[in-house]
Amino acid sequence: MNLQVLPLLILGLPALGALVLALTAQRTPRIVPKLVGPGMVWLAFICTLVLLVNSLQNDSPHVYTYWTWISSGRFTVPFNLLIDRLSIFMAMVVTGVGGLIVTYSVGYMEHEDKPSYARFFCYLDLFITSMLLLVLAGNFIFLIVGWAAVGLSSYLLIGYWYWRNAAVVAARKAFVMNVIGDVGMILAAFVLFVNVHTLTFSGVFAELPHHDTGWVEAAGFLLLVGAVAKSAQLPLHTWLPDAMEGPTPVSALIHAATMVTAGVYLVGRMHPIFNLATGAHDAVAVIGGVTAIFAATIAIVQTDIKRVLAYSTMSQIGYMFLAVGVGAYSAGFFHLMSHAFFKALLFMAAGNIIHSMHDEQDMRKYGGLWKQMRWTSIAFLVGSLALSGIFPFDGFFSKEMLLGETFSKPGTFPVVLWAVGFVTAVLTAFYTGRMWWIAFAGKPSPDRPVEHPHEARPIMLIPVLILALLTVVGGWIQLNALTDAGPKVLSTFLSPVVGSIAWTSKPAELAVTLITLVLAILAFLAAYQFYVSKRWPTWSRALPRIQVLLEHKYFFDEIYDLMVVRVMDLLSIGGDRYIEEPLIDGTVNAVGTIAESSGEGISVTENGLFRTYALVFLVGALVAAVVVLLYRSLS
Amino acid sequence: MPDPVLLAGDAGVIQIGSAGSIPVSWFLVVSAILFALGTVGVLVRRNPIVILICIELMLNAVNLTLVAFSRQLGNLEGQLFALLVMVVAAAEAVIGLAILVDIFRVRDVDDVDELSELRG
Repeated sequence: MNLQVLPLLILGLPALGALVLALTAQRTPRIVPKLVGPGMVWLAFICTLVLLVNSLQNDSPHVYTYWTWISSGRFTVPFNLLIDRLSIFMAMVVTGVGGLIVTYSVGYMEHEDKPSYARFFCYLDLFITSMLLLVLAGNFIFLIVGWAAVGLSSYLLIGYWYWRNAAVVAARKAFVMNVIGDVGMILAAFVLFVNVHTLTFSGVFAELPHHDTGWVEAAGFLLLVGAVAKSAQLPLHTWLPDAMEGPTPVSALIHAATMVTAGVYLVGRMHPIFNLATGAHDAVAVIGGVTAIFAATIAIVQTDIKRVLAYSTMSQIGYMFLAVGVGAYSAGFFHLMSHAFFKALLFMAAGNIIHSMHDEQDMRKYGGLWKQMRWTSIAFLVGSLALSGIFPFDGFFSKEMLLGETFSKPGTFPVVLWAVGFVTAVLTAFYTGRMWWIAFAGKPSPDRPVEHPHEARPIMLIPVLILALLTVVGGWIQLNALTDAGPKVLSTFLSPVVGSIAWTSKPAELAVTLITLVLAILAFLAAYQFYVSKRWPTWSRALPRIQVLLEHKYFFDEIYDLMVVRVMDLLSIGGDRYIEEPLIDGTVNAVGTIAESSGEGISVTENGLFRTYALVFLVGALVAAVVVLLYRSLS
Repeated sequence: MPDPVLLAGDAGVIQIGSAGSIPVSWFLVVSAILFALGTVGVLVRRNPIVILICIELMLNAVNLTLVAFSRQLGNLEGQLFALLVMVVAAAEAVIGLAILVDIFRVRDVDDVDELSELRG
């Protein structure tokens, strides 16, 4: 079988689904979006599976060139797709986890009326197409197209409930932030094109110099801008928590499992550049580390369950940035995969709760759900433990692998980053424990909107349970954290693309892993004492200033408001007052006034009296006659 | 062979039959007086019918000039042109009177100054 057609199918099937749904949303019965929406994603998943099986036997990358997109002189850009193990890995995550989430949406969005229902699946399929184009693209042009299209579909999905003001504002914010990243990507492509005169990945990587130069560094930093914006890292992170205004499956799909990990993919895909541009590469790790601990501290005080998850997503992606930033690519992608499993699981389980609680998202108003929603509670617990990095769930293996490899890297810089990651791991366990205990343990809250919540329907429960199963078993494919002898499926699979780590592990690695694990478990349990049994006084009463600082998310929104939004407002007001009104309006109004007043002036002669006209005519004729006579007598 | 009576005469004099001759300038003076009367009439009179008559007067003054010069110069074109002016004057009178009849149907106008709705 010719494999060349498969990548086109992977891209084309969800695109076709989106097109069909867009064209038929008004006319077809609900069964059509129900089948087409998830069906196309699952078909793409099957195609990806074929590619995966093929790549297991043969690790060489394939570049399939389909047609020429741009041809201008000696410069050509083909429409080509790069099928190597990294892109297959990403496509597996996108279509696999994405398929589960789209299937879940069939149940979650049931209450929407028919055109909106189809619209939702149209957007989801559009998103899947864009994301697949992003990960499969073989040149910078299509990478950027996918990059921007992902931002667009994210905008559409966040603003899906367009009659809610908050959703529209959040969508716009996400779009603006993403466009900042798009600009970084485009500028990076310009820098590369000016210096190497090609835009295909293979061409660019082949032409890179052998030592660090200014333009490679510049390209690295510009790519980092794109990655930071898309992955909601500091300082372009403010859109992600607000993006929780979208429907919960959107949060699971875009803001946890796939889109926000695009930055990690980008750093991995561009690793030849980042390996040269050491400054930009270190910046990736620093941004990741700072974001990880920054977001984890904010998550401690959030009360909206989806916002806790949003900040934990930022924090976990910070981990991935940290890993790919120090050069532990496989560890970063391992965490990407396990995070996709457990974070999609957490979001969808949270969606089940929100559904049964009539859209109440404040987890302080839940309480005691363990007895009433047993399956969801178990799934949420599995996800929480994985997020906390507790054995034997996949989050433990991936987080310890990336922390361990960072710890083992020679030099003090990685050890500092490890220390940040270590503190973050404990904080993560603490806020995750707080979330789980508050929502599920204890007595039902008196403010609960629903006295006896029902367990979710099978269509919404089964994807959650599948992900819970994946969370339980997913970590065992790569056992770096505990033993060097265990299977290393993922790092072996990815090593032809991103290489393996260039340093050996320190003996102390196992010890710090165990210490991290024990402290994480203790932090998870300590949250119970703080927030449910209240045996220990709440820490925030002792530190009210810090509480306020965290509740305002370090005042980032306020600072941006002051520095950007207010400045723009002032500029607009000033421009309105001093340029638009006097200059532009003034000119236009003056033209009108002149025409009007001159018309009024001339209309005095139009007095409607026949004799006046006749007199004027006569005088004119006389003057003409005199002129003619004078002229003739003179000449 | 042109009619000798019609075309005879030397510069400045027009033969009238056999009774004698009248200088052209007399015709021109009469014509100018008629034209001035017509012009003043158009300007100062208010009655639309009188204005139309005054316009006819002006046209006929011009006709007189045309014919007089035609006779003096021995050229028939001036007389032909006078015929043309009469035809045009008849047509103009028809249209002018028709407009007046139409206006009179709507309202009783004895002063053209009343027809000044189109003033600016």
